Amino acid sequence: MSGDRTKVRAKGLERRFGHLLAVAGVSFEVYEGEVFGLLGPNGAGKTTLVRMLSGVLTPTTGDATVDGASVVREPERVKARIGYATQEASVYPFLTVRENLEFRAAMYLEGPPALDAVEDALARFDLGGVADRRAGELSGGWRQRLSLAQAVVHRPRVAFLDEPTTGLDPLARRAVWDLVYAEAARGMSALVTTHYMDEAERCHRVGLIYGGRRVALGTPQELKAAVAARYRFYRVPGADPADWRGRAGVVDAWQRGGAVRIVLEPDAPAPANATPEEPTMEDVFVLKIREEDAHALV
Amino acid sequence: MRWSRVRAVAKKEMLELRRDPILLRVIRVLPVAMLLLFGYAVNFNLKHIPLALLDRADDRISRTLVRELEKDDKFEVVARAESEEELKRLIDRQQARVGLVVPAGLLERIRAGKGVRLRALVDGSDPTFAFQVQVGLQKAVGRLNARLVAARMLAGEAQPLPLALEPELLYNPEANTAAFMVPGIVGIILTQIAVILTGLAIVREKETRMLESLIATPVRPGELVVGKVLPYLVIAFADTLLVLWVGYVVFAVPMRGSLVLLLLLIFLFVLGSLAVGIVVSARARTQIQAIFGTLVYYLPSIFLSGLFFPIEGMPRVLQAVTYLIPLRYFLEAARGVMLRGVGLDVLYAPFAALVVFTALMLALATMSFRKRLL
Repeated sequence: MSGDRTKVRAKGLERRFGHLLAVAGVSFEVYEGEVFGLLGPNGAGKTTLVRMLSGVLTPTTGDATVDGASVVREPERVKARIGYATQEASVYPFLTVRENLEFRAAMYLEGPPALDAVEDALARFDLGGVADRRAGELSGGWRQRLSLAQAVVHRPRVAFLDEPTTGLDPLARRAVWDLVYAEAARGMSALVTTHYMDEAERCHRVGLIYGGRRVALGTPQELKAAVAARYRFYRVPGADPADWRGRAGVVDAWQRGGAVRIVLEPDAPAPANATPEEPTMEDVFVLKIREEDAHALV
Repeated sequence: MRWSRVRAVAKKEMLELRRDPILLRVIRVLPVAMLLLFGYAVNFNLKHIPLALLDRADDRISRTLVRELEKDDKFEVVARAESEEELKRLIDRQQARVGLVVPAGLLERIRAGKGVRLRALVDGSDPTFAFQVQVGLQKAVGRLNARLVAARMLAGEAQPLPLALEPELLYNPEANTAAFMVPGIVGIILTQIAVILTGLAIVREKETRMLESLIATPVRPGELVVGKVLPYLVIAFADTLLVLWVGYVVFAVPMRGSLVLLLLLIFLFVLGSLAVGIVVSARARTQIQAIFGTLVYYLPSIFLSGLFFPIEGMPRVLQAVTYLIPLRYFLEAARGVMLRGVGLDVLYAPFAALVVFTALMLALATMSFRKRLL
């Protein structure tokens, strides 16, 4: 697979649980060294998708290749090539930070390379100071840091990180993203799921998942530009978004600080004393989902 | 199978176990506590049975009878009643479990060569107990009879009794309950540690969501299973040796046969039990489910293995079911080796049954443990 810069290639991945269609025909690609964000609300199917890509859950239909290996036909080869951090930081609380890393490293490597990998991960993730503390005593941010270090202790080419920042404070979240980018800088591809809008802006490219389907795909700039082409965004003084909702040409309105942010149809006239604004990823998210729900009603 | 992965899993399991404050204590204390409990409490050899006496004769013979009853501390005369009503009342209130009525003029009637009937009221609510009481009474009366006959023979007045039974207990002459129980307790402990702890060990990973991370690595099911099982194999062995040692020191349980054969037997049984634990844990999602799952295996094992209730006394259908209980074969073989000192030439059948059981369970365990979530 040398020379192939596409590290993950999902083709019509689909998964049913009984009558529930958790993931419906999702396709996308992740390139070498790319940080790819999978953005979606809770229950959108992000975790199911990541589990299929990691080889721990068999797709009902469709397939994906991860670093050249098929998740349907050769899941064990996939597992050897990836790093996977589950949604809850999966660390053994009674084991120290170093022991947790040693255990995970031993699943992939043996002998001196395994020991080197542990020391290397301790350094890369700045865990040297807590190496001999029990994982159960760590704060949420440090536990997440350990969870990430475990996932990539063997320096995989591809890493799947399921909501690595959920429940963390902003500083800890920023630290997690810095670490993810540091790994990407040495060529690793990372697929990161999140439901934080601002985090999507940090990704090279974003796939928006809603109701098990991929509803948008592109760089944050592309997604925002696509929305900007179809809607206009304004800030108006006031404190009552309900006043605006339902008016002709108004798509949505909500309170933001001391002003109301309104989204208008492209041909609707701008209200008086309205200040134009740029769309954010939150706008992309809300408007895409609104469009999806409108389709679903039809 | 990559050994470094097996070792890493086993090491991790040991570390977790060592640092778990409760589990470690359970493993250390439970086996010996159970042994002491069963050894002392489950005693089929009753002593100091409280007896109420209504002695209307109060002569030499009736006093000799009391001495015979109290011999070996079998019975203890706790009360002397004045009437049959009082005797009955003492049993009703459980102050005595047996009431014995000695009729008036005992000595005179025996001298006259007449037979005398001794009425005994026995609390029959517990059949095992009632049986032991009857046997004890018969023995005491038998001894007294023998003395009376001997005395009259000296006087030339009587012939010896035509038949006399002299039973000789083999292997366990003192009817030491502990000797009989210890092999069974070893079996119970092995079942408990092997099945329950192994079952919990894997389900715990599921419950704490660690299993998902684990199966997303290249670790093979066999490596995971062997690595998980190894620490418990060591623990079960250590616990077994401890129980055997305590049994030997405290209860003087004999070890007449080959220790090597016994250890081989234990190894076989533990391996099979560990596999059962894995089968259970592959299906259970929570630790509670795993515990109930293992009870389904554990309880019939205890009651149908012949540990407490002789298999010979069970209805035909249940007797057939006991052939499916591995603990039955373990007990048969362990008692054979420890108490009777016999070897494989005698015990080939239970050994073969255990080999089959262990092989089946190991196969089932490997098949049931898959590396997929659903």
